[in-house]
Amino acid sequence: MKLSFSEVKDVMVLSPRGKIMGGPDATLMHDQLHDFINQGKKKVIIDLAKVDWMNSTGLGILISGLTTMRNSDGELKLANVTDKIQSLLTITKLITVFDTYDSVEEAVQSFK
Amino acid sequence: MSKILKQKNQITVPSSLDYLKDVDDFVEKRLKRVGLPEDLLADVAISVTEAVTNAIVHGNKNDLEKSVVITLEITEQEIIVWIKDQGNGFDPESVPSPVEKDNLLKKVGRGIFILKSLMDEVDFTFEPEGGTLVKIVKHFKVVKKS
Repeated sequence: MKLSFSEVKDVMVLSPRGKIMGGPDATLMHDQLHDFINQGKKKVIIDLAKVDWMNSTGLGILISGLTTMRNSDGELKLANVTDKIQSLLTITKLITVFDTYDSVEEAVQSFK
Repeated sequence: MSKILKQKNQITVPSSLDYLKDVDDFVEKRLKRVGLPEDLLADVAISVTEAVTNAIVHGNKNDLEKSVVITLEITEQEIIVWIKDQGNGFDPESVPSPVEKDNLLKKVGRGIFILKSLMDEVDFTFEPEGGTLVKIVKHFKVVKKS
């Protein structure tokens, strides 16, 4: 997985690319979210458009991100959830836990 | 420390998740040769990483002296993958359901559930001499281009 981010207004958009399967992937997102929190940035969107697939470790990374942000009075939302990831979120019932949006723009708007 | 070893349809890796990408590259390269549809290819690739993660973390307890062996068998109708570790085994039925309300926000514990959801067959064999052998099977039909 590769990770980049951008800022849209006061919302941080994290954009992982490739496959999220564990190993070094687990700390990358965690460290980035803690950097955001330390900078006082508490609205985060994870844009999944460029993620080929993820396994249960990837889902755990998303869960970890969600609880990390919530514990800091922040929010984490998902955008551009691909069919493959949508299917995993559905079978694991995590679709009931995350706020998901069809685009980054919609997710940004939802923070208002 | 054991070493990474690649043969025609088999890869052996030390018990570290740092080698998960090597396993995935190896498996996906061979699955692409078969012309497996992308969706099925992803299901198998995800499932292999689930089984190998379990073998490394829960089977071999991240012991770098121990290895995980992944063997592929690709026929015209199915993909079979064997994942063998050198651990003490476990009871797959004892893993709590990750879709229970109390478990939804847990970071771990979804691997076997996903494995069983994506694959057509999942079998665990606990070898008498030690080690767990996981066999996963996915049936498929290749659509030949005319």
